[in-house]
Order: sequence, then structure tokens, then C-alpha cells
Amino acid sequence: MDIKGLTIKKIHHDLVKKEYSAKELAKEYFDFIKKEDEKIGAFLSLSEEMAMSQAGEVDKNIAGGKGLGVLGGVPMAIKDNILIEGLKCTAASKLLRDYKASYNATVINKLKASGAVFLGKTNMDEFAMGSSTENSAFKITHNPHDLERVPGGSSGGSAAAVASEMAVAALGSDTGGSIRQPAAFCGTVGLKPTYGAVSRYGVMAMASSLDQIGPFTKTVEDAAILFKELSGQDIMDSTSAPVSYGDELLNPKIEDIKKLTVGIPEEYFVDGLDKNVANKINEVVKDLEKLGIKTKKISLPHTKYALFCYYIIMPAEVSSNLSRFDGIRYGTREKADNLIELYKKNRDFGFGPESKRRILLGTFVLSSGYYDAYYGRAQKVRALIKQDFDEAFKKVDVILTPVTPTTAFKIGEKTDDPLAMYLSDIFTIPVNLAGVPAISIPVKNNTGLPIGFQLIGKHFREADILGIGQLYEKM
Amino acid sequence: MAEINKKILKHLAELARIEIDPKKEDKFLADFKSILGHFEELANLDTSGVVPMTGGTSLENITREDDFNENEDQGKGVEGFPESKDGYLKVPPVFE
Repeated sequence: MDIKGLTIKKIHHDLVKKEYSAKELAKEYFDFIKKEDEKIGAFLSLSEEMAMSQAGEVDKNIAGGKGLGVLGGVPMAIKDNILIEGLKCTAASKLLRDYKASYNATVINKLKASGAVFLGKTNMDEFAMGSSTENSAFKITHNPHDLERVPGGSSGGSAAAVASEMAVAALGSDTGGSIRQPAAFCGTVGLKPTYGAVSRYGVMAMASSLDQIGPFTKTVEDAAILFKELSGQDIMDSTSAPVSYGDELLNPKIEDIKKLTVGIPEEYFVDGLDKNVANKINEVVKDLEKLGIKTKKISLPHTKYALFCYYIIMPAEVSSNLSRFDGIRYGTREKADNLIELYKKNRDFGFGPESKRRILLGTFVLSSGYYDAYYGRAQKVRALIKQDFDEAFKKVDVILTPVTPTTAFKIGEKTDDPLAMYLSDIFTIPVNLAGVPAISIPVKNNTGLPIGFQLIGKHFREADILGIGQLYEKM
Repeated sequence: MAEINKKILKHLAELARIEIDPKKEDKFLADFKSILGHFEELANLDTSGVVPMTGGTSLENITREDDFNENEDQGKGVEGFPESKDGYLKVPPVFE
């Protein structure tokens, strides 16, 4: 059996035709992972027992004529900050090295109900904080296109797993670009849904007002299939929205897609954007025009404030969300003489440098005397950034930008310079602040390292960006 | 805006219950300063009259009946505790 190039759609077709069984397929993936992952390092743990039992269930249902779920038998990798009951969930932190999840995230329940098979948990930057997966407490993940380069982050393990064919699809989480940036670096598709489109119940919160869970896939079509399964309101997440997505996600009408207008914001084509990346993005613009889609220059005037607005709001939420990791409630407890020492000892041992940096930064911007100057002001700037998008979306339906200023950088290149690392998310961050959906899609006819382009949609209009993406993909 | 120094850094670490390795203090402080320097850019922006965006959605609050569920089964959550006794989380003493 050749697993190269398999998609969700193809597996569904093959299983229906009984070309192979779900168990055979899962076994094939584990055999491949055990060889391939030695050089990539995408997985933190494998869940072979669970996977084989899930696959067996799928086979039984097919044999018994009970039908096949949309994701029936699809081998998937899950970022290690998403809870699967009974499996270790570490968020790539020493603090949670022995922590086992006691319940399923809502997205996991949805995937299970649809028949997906979980291969294992993927490496990431600790607590999803980073842009290269180098902040993992456990291992480095290598970019499958060049092993000396990073896969991006924070969902670097998930992106690398899909890019190296060790999984058909994967889940990641995206707070400032953590799905789209690694997708661009590894040459996969990555979707950050509208804030509220997918339940966050059971994902370890980093910055609650920005986090979303989303899919990594090999094709835009698969991203649409997977997103439809993940989305929906959830009583366990009060910020999940009462929307339902229809058939247009899966079967976009070409005539309707061609009527969309795509905006190109001048603020995204600035100094620091690699020339080759800029050229490739311009080729995509021309390709879309060839399809009959109208394009238009637009302006998002507050773009330059987004990065540092984000680096106030995000750490503020991080410092609050990560306060629960204190050695009292989760995982292993390092003993100490008194309570305060116990907190400090556990947090000092458990958190890596980037986590500490963001917790301290968050504590600072929220502390008495500085709150108004930093956090309060950042919330206003965030409103202005969202307003930019609201205004732009009166004139255009979709916005096209680069995903990253450069292609994947070398391992170790930016670890000593947090600011340089932060800048690699400059084009993805405004999207999270505004809460709109965006997708990273690999540009075609590219012989060098992967480059992604980003399509940004209106709130809850994933159908528009997935539609244009599917059209581009089939060109 | 604010000037950050070692004293403030130590105070923040105390508040956040984090230890900073004295050998890494200077690097921490330097990184902090370079990030905070950029925050000044936001100060030059006119935000008068802007209503702050306080969360990820503009959804309205949803209220429900204030009923209660009695449930003494702590479930599998207990298994994830570092220490437990009779189904409860065991914590170190707060007062000696």
C-alpha cells in the first residue's frame, strides 16, 4: 500500500470500495512513522493501541453495513495541548510531563464520532508559545523540506507530520499564527477558523480571547471537510457561536466564487518581506485574476500596531491562564518547605524561558499603575485593528496577504532573540486580534522552500476562503 | 511609559511565583526592555473615544436559571492530581 499523497477524500473512497481496511491503513502509518519520525521528530507520543481499536471499530461498522463516517479510518495527529482521555497531554512542558488527560476535548469527541483514528500527540512550543517549536521541553522538530530548518510553530509537530506524510491530517491551535505559519513553512494547508466557530473546550488555554483550534491538511478540500466536522456551538464553551455551516463549504459554486472580490492590503508588502516571497504572492494574485476573480488594492491602516498590541494582550491572558500550573493540581508535585516555595519550585522547574518571559510580561502589563498605559490601551488598539477589517470588508469579500515574511529559518537562528522570533508572526497576528478566519495555502510552481499565501475572510465566512482556495488548488 | 529595572523584575517574579536565575537576569532584562520599547509606539496612537475590545467576540452574555447540580463524583479528574485523599485534592498546609 502506498500512503503517499493520501487524502481524507481518497481514504473514504478506498474504504468504501474495500481497497484496504482501516486497520491495515493504520498499521501502515505506524510502520512509516517509526522509521520516518527518527529524523523529523514530529510526535511526542504514539497511541497505537487506541488507534488500532478505533480502526477496528471502523472496519466492524463497514462490515456490518453501518456505514462510514466522513472521517472514518482517517489517520490523524493531534497537537499535544488538546486533551484525549487516557492519553498523556504535556503541552510540551516539563511541568505536565506525567499528566494524563481525564476527559476528551469537544473536538476530539467530534472526530471520534466521525470515525477518525488518532495516531499520536505532536510536538509544539511549550504551552503553544513560540514560532519554531524550539521551545518544546522535550525535542526539536525538523522541517521535512530541509532538516536543518524549523517547521515553524507553535504547532510545528502537526505541520511536519502532515508534510512528511506521517498523518493524513492534524489538529493544531492558533493564537497568533500557530497553525498558519507552520503550514506555510512546511507546505501544508492550515486553517484558523473564526473565533467562536470551533469549541475550545479541552484545549489548554493560552490566550483565551485569541485561541482557536483548526486543521492541517494536504488539500484545501480536506480542510473544508475537516473544518465542517469540527465546527459548531458547544455548551461547554460559552464563546462558541450559534452558527452552522452548510454544503457550500464542501461544494463551492464556481460561479459564486468568481464573483468575489479580493483585496490586497498595501501594509503587508513592506520592508522585511522577502523578495522571493513577494514575487510568489504576486503570482498568486495573477492566477486568481486569470480565474476571473477581481482584485483591488486596499488599506488596513493600523496593521503596524498589531504585533505589539498582541504582545500586550496575549501575555496578559497567558499570565492568568498559566497561573493554574503551580504544582498543586496537575501532574507531578515537587516538594518544598512551605507553600510559596512549593509554587516557585514547581513553576521554576516546570516552565521554560519563553513561558517565564510571557508570564512576567503579562504580570507587568496588568500590574497596578501600568494597566491603563498598557493593557487598557492595547484593548483599544485591538478595536481599531478589528475596525480596519470591518471597513475593508465593506469593499472586498476576501483579503490576500503573505503568511510569513520569509521561508523557514534555520534551527537555532532566532532562539536568542525573542523579538526576531515574534516578527515571524507579523502577518498572521492581526487576524487573531480581529477574530476573523484565515487559511494558509502553499503557492504552486515553487521549487524552493515552501511559501504560503493567506486568505482572510469575513467573520464566519470560511466558505469564501475555502472556496477560492479550492478553485486555486484545481487550476 | 515605565522604566523597567531589576527591582521591578524581581517584584514581578515574586507576584508571578517565578524564580529568575540570577545568571540570566541581565538577558531577561535586556529582552524585556527591547519589547517594552516597542510598546511606546502604541502610546503615540490617538485612541480617544475608542471602545476597548475586551474579548474575542461581540456576543451578548447568555444567562440561565440559577439551578444547581449535586454531584459528589469527582470522576477521573482526581487521577490527574499529584496527591489525593478520599477523592479530594490533597494540598500542602497554608498556615503552619
